[in-house]
Amino acid sequence: MYLQSRRTFLKGAAFSVAGVAIAKGVFATDAVAESVTNSKFTNTPDSISFYPDQAEWDSFKELDGTDWKRGGIERHGVRSAENPDGIQVNDYTIVPTVCSNCEAGCGLTAWVDKETMTVRKYMGNPLHTGSRGRNCAKGYAVLSQMYDPDRIPFPLKRAPGSKRGEGKWIRTTWDEAMAEIGKKMHDTLKVGDEISKKSIMYHVGRPNENGFGHRVPHTMGLDGYDSHTNICSAGARQGTIQWANDDRNSPDWANAKLIFLQSSHAADAGHYFQQSAGLIADARKRGAKMVVIDPRMSNSAGMADLWIPAWPGTETALYLYLANRVLHEQDLNGEDLVNHEFFKEWVNWDRLMANREYIEKHMLGNGYISKMPKDDSYESFIEMIKELYSPYTKEYVTKECKLEGMEHKLDALWEMYIDAGDKIATYLWRAGPIGHRGGWMITRAGFLTLALRGALRGDIGGTSFHHWHEISVGGKGDKATVAGERPPKVDVWNEIAWPPEYPISSYEMSHIMPHLLMDEEWQQKWIKKGLKVPQKLAVWMPRMYNPVWINPDGFRWIEALKREDKIEMSFNLSPTWSETNWYCDYILPVGLAGERNDQQSTPSKPEQRIEFRQAVLRVAAEKMGWKAKDPARATLEAHMKYGLGEIWEESEFWANIMVHHIDPDGSLGIRKYWASKKDPSRAVTVPEYFDAAMSLLPRLKETATKMYPTEEFPVYAYMRDHGAWTEKTNVYKPQEEELKVDANYVYAHGKKYPKHEVKKDKFGALWVEHDGREHSIGLVKDDKILAGFHTRSKKLEFFSEWFAEWKWPEYAIPVYPRNEKELKKMEHVVTQVHHTMMKGDNEFALNTVFRLPYNIHTRSVNSKHLMEISQNHNPVWIYTKDAEKLGIKRGDAIRVNVTDTVSGLDSGYFVGMAVPTEATRPGVLACSHHAGRWKLKDAVNIPGFEHALGIMGVGAPRYDMTNDGKIGTLKPAEGIQKRHAGHNLWQFKEFNKDLDNIWWDGLSGAWQNAVAPSHPDPIAGNHAWHLKVVIEKAQPSDKIGDIYVNYENNFKVYQAWRDQLTRPLDHNDTERRPWFIKRPAVPLSKKAYEVHIKA
Amino acid sequence: MQEEILTEQSARVNIYALISRILMNEIDEELLELILKDENILSFFPNFQKWDKRKSMSNKDLIERYLNVDFTNLFLLHLVPYESFYMREDQMMETGGENPVQKLYNDFDFRVELDQARVMAGDHIGVELEFMFKLCEAEYRALEDGAYEVASEIAEIEYNFLKEHLVEWAPMFLLNVKSEAGTALYFDAADLALEFILSDFEYLSKLKKSDFKHLAVEESK
Repeated sequence: MYLQSRRTFLKGAAFSVAGVAIAKGVFATDAVAESVTNSKFTNTPDSISFYPDQAEWDSFKELDGTDWKRGGIERHGVRSAENPDGIQVNDYTIVPTVCSNCEAGCGLTAWVDKETMTVRKYMGNPLHTGSRGRNCAKGYAVLSQMYDPDRIPFPLKRAPGSKRGEGKWIRTTWDEAMAEIGKKMHDTLKVGDEISKKSIMYHVGRPNENGFGHRVPHTMGLDGYDSHTNICSAGARQGTIQWANDDRNSPDWANAKLIFLQSSHAADAGHYFQQSAGLIADARKRGAKMVVIDPRMSNSAGMADLWIPAWPGTETALYLYLANRVLHEQDLNGEDLVNHEFFKEWVNWDRLMANREYIEKHMLGNGYISKMPKDDSYESFIEMIKELYSPYTKEYVTKECKLEGMEHKLDALWEMYIDAGDKIATYLWRAGPIGHRGGWMITRAGFLTLALRGALRGDIGGTSFHHWHEISVGGKGDKATVAGERPPKVDVWNEIAWPPEYPISSYEMSHIMPHLLMDEEWQQKWIKKGLKVPQKLAVWMPRMYNPVWINPDGFRWIEALKREDKIEMSFNLSPTWSETNWYCDYILPVGLAGERNDQQSTPSKPEQRIEFRQAVLRVAAEKMGWKAKDPARATLEAHMKYGLGEIWEESEFWANIMVHHIDPDGSLGIRKYWASKKDPSRAVTVPEYFDAAMSLLPRLKETATKMYPTEEFPVYAYMRDHGAWTEKTNVYKPQEEELKVDANYVYAHGKKYPKHEVKKDKFGALWVEHDGREHSIGLVKDDKILAGFHTRSKKLEFFSEWFAEWKWPEYAIPVYPRNEKELKKMEHVVTQVHHTMMKGDNEFALNTVFRLPYNIHTRSVNSKHLMEISQNHNPVWIYTKDAEKLGIKRGDAIRVNVTDTVSGLDSGYFVGMAVPTEATRPGVLACSHHAGRWKLKDAVNIPGFEHALGIMGVGAPRYDMTNDGKIGTLKPAEGIQKRHAGHNLWQFKEFNKDLDNIWWDGLSGAWQNAVAPSHPDPIAGNHAWHLKVVIEKAQPSDKIGDIYVNYENNFKVYQAWRDQLTRPLDHNDTERRPWFIKRPAVPLSKKAYEVHIKA
Repeated sequence: MQEEILTEQSARVNIYALISRILMNEIDEELLELILKDENILSFFPNFQKWDKRKSMSNKDLIERYLNVDFTNLFLLHLVPYESFYMREDQMMETGGENPVQKLYNDFDFRVELDQARVMAGDHIGVELEFMFKLCEAEYRALEDGAYEVASEIAEIEYNFLKEHLVEWAPMFLLNVKSEAGTALYFDAADLALEFILSDFEYLSKLKKSDFKHLAVEESK
């Protein structure tokens, strides 16, 4: 019988112990039932939506996450006096804000615990139509940055009697700092001469806002704004400026058939990354292909349909190969592959064909073509460029891009490119265009391939330009001020920002600011030629920027910052400790993502949207009834009241220092731009200013006014409660929008022009005269007047006429050397790390410019969370076979010696850890320049303050430094220390109770940026990042992280690039720069543009 | 007559306690010692009783080197001791409050301390068996007090729980355990549990025929 007898089981009754003693006893009857019944919570939520409805944000109750892990509501009930073991219910005010950890500006919501007035978590903002409620690791890390144990708690001032860099600090107050800084700025500006207007420099890192920062120097009448852009992305921008007079392109990822990425950034780390990545994923889900062109296998390349590891800097050749095939081949029906309908209508081939002198002198003259076109027709143009691009064959590109053995990839690329038709979305950004001399030509050539296929029309799934997809009103809150209008244009030109060698630089030459300040020979040369070149700065004020560390030639920065005769006063508006702070006079701690007030807008998709970053503790407190004593300082007051420390932010800081310190009596004409219209005795407030600025959006204003009829600042109230607003969706083919015309006027760009003053040229462009200059305002097509592109011709400019006139005619069309002779002759568009420059087995191109998805350039070091996930020692990637040849194994320390291919000078070396891998191409090393932070002290003691202030304690090891004006060294002394609770931990204790879990030493790579000399591109002005390096095994005394820098040589390298490669202004020039090419930040008058240079 | 009923009920209580404990968590030295010392209990583990290894090493070594390894293999790594895995079409586990077994416990005001049980959900074999243990214990108390109607109600609940839950899936799982077991203890434990569950269901089915009236059943014997 299979079953045992029932009687057998009766033996169980005779167990020596009762069942109750054997059973585990996992059931409990408890008192939670009632609390469950009475609560709104269920064990399994009805919906898995992360976010409650916006109407509930002011008061939203949620079970505490930590408690929830104990097993849910059904087992523990809700905490109450009767049920003390129940699950805690948090009562939140959810305040929307915007991430500030990269340029993408994804929506965030801060979940402010009403009981403790602390932010318990940051989540996304579902109302933000770009980020759609999602964030990357950096977004969620905002909380750990906010409660960083080493957060600077109050303004610091260099101790009187100490020198910059000695690390002696005293505590000061915002009022004292404002008084001292304000007086210095007042005294400087009071002089009122040309030099005084070039003597104050606002140096802005990642701005993450749209226009407020520009307003700061503008209202002071200064040409004094240095952006970081020339070390970031200015190469790509230059190519875009030449094509479209726009700053950058703007793809429609979600609807594309081909995601065409050079370098990885849109999909795994860079520009608008998290938003772009989501949209790219949507497109791929629908079947879009993705190709990544990058010498390094990035995360994106690893997931792409095709990875093409072209030799870095040669991608122009690849794109011209595609152009060649498109021009010469037909589809299966025998039709041309060129989208003639678009190209003929919207590209300025007509102006090139009309300029026979240019064709003859520069195209025929340089051998680009063999004969003059027979006439100026479109057909002759096509025949001409067929010949122009015919040398860029598969054989040629295989050799030039060093793709031997990978020819099949070129075929695959061609198939994908053609199959996608005009639905190709791209971001040609970063590593290619910024890494190389002439990198901007990569963008020129890349856009040609898109234009030929019609993909630059900005239609669905294609590529458009950013200014149509972005809204910048952050600098336009004038109506809330006494002035009520924008300040006039500035009348001076600052040679420190825009030296005469770089008239068409995309952005300011900020990366050589210290070089220019210290290069007295250069200053004297231009002074003798009649320019008023500043020889020092009265005040240098970086904002959220760390140029000492992130810019090339860091020891030069240190030298300059230490020179009090060159930089008389400096202060950093900085949320964190940084290498740059160490050499400043004041460190003024400003807010992170949830502690600032900024308008931001990011062109991540074809729509127009703004975001509002705000100080969440202030907003939460105000919603609960708190009122600041001084409404113009509400953010500072809220942060001090609710335990964050004396943390302020720029919008209130600048308004206050301007009104009360820089121009207290209004005699400088500055005060009125910052004093409140409502109460002129004080500075403008955040609600006043941003309500005025954001009211410039008509649909937003209409909606907000209806929704908040009783609010004094309805638009501000709308943005305060929602955090994001989408003004317009489906912004496609904007250049084809018809201009409004009535019986008397043509309306364009917010202005109206009397019809009789509008003149049409033979190419159909409409022109008006304004401010003594000819402006084009539209384009006649058939019977319609269309807006056109931003260029003078109103078309996309294959032929950049102005560029030819501004001394670079041979590069005014997309072109690239076709042979070794031309590689030398056309050196301005040839990378400084071209493969022909690598002679030995140990000579490599070093690819430095790639972002790490979990790092925020210089700012991650204040986030324990990000530091923990980024501990990879930032190795030097080396191709497996290259490593084998040199006997280098995984983990070996290697010396990476940097050498310049223009001057032939050596810069020194850094010691890195080699990791042989198939994920970088032969001959090319990779080592991101976003790691390798350092500090010289673990902490500083502040007289009169009981606690030592820790310095970058979760992310930067301590180093020893030497520098004597010529040679600089840095050597790791000690890794990050574990910090047991109580030891050196005095603020945000609850949040940091796990601080003793630190397991990493923080030696995350060497400070390679210091070894790199400045390589100013002779045309785009950007620093060309990539380096030629010679590697060798490390010496026995070397440590990973060591650097040795000959920065005397580095100075000569900067001079060589400047003097051997540029075509400076001369006595024939009458203007500083083509006036119609935007000079970012501060608008300059005609007078400022005018120049007279002595022969 | 009542004594017989109580004896049988006591046996049910104890055996449910024993098998629930063994199938829920790793065995510990205390329990192993109990099993080995109590010949009534040991008789339920005939193969284990004869197992050489048991005799050649200390209980601690036996647990660490064999029994825990086998438990991990059977209950944590390779087999899935949860009802929802066997019952749902998609073989997904439901770990939240929506688990139907969890809901059933809630209906009776029983809360499973999952953290103490160290299981993922309330439909774990060990927890379901302990639930039966709790019911049998309550039934025992009712019978002891002469509250026969209450006892009948409880018995009906037991029947339904076995019918709708344990009998539906536990045999499949326990056969898998028998097939995969690497030690005699877990082979025997699975066999015991399998036999007992089926036998107990047979017993309750009989009880059902007399509307769960214990006395009526006894009288009919």
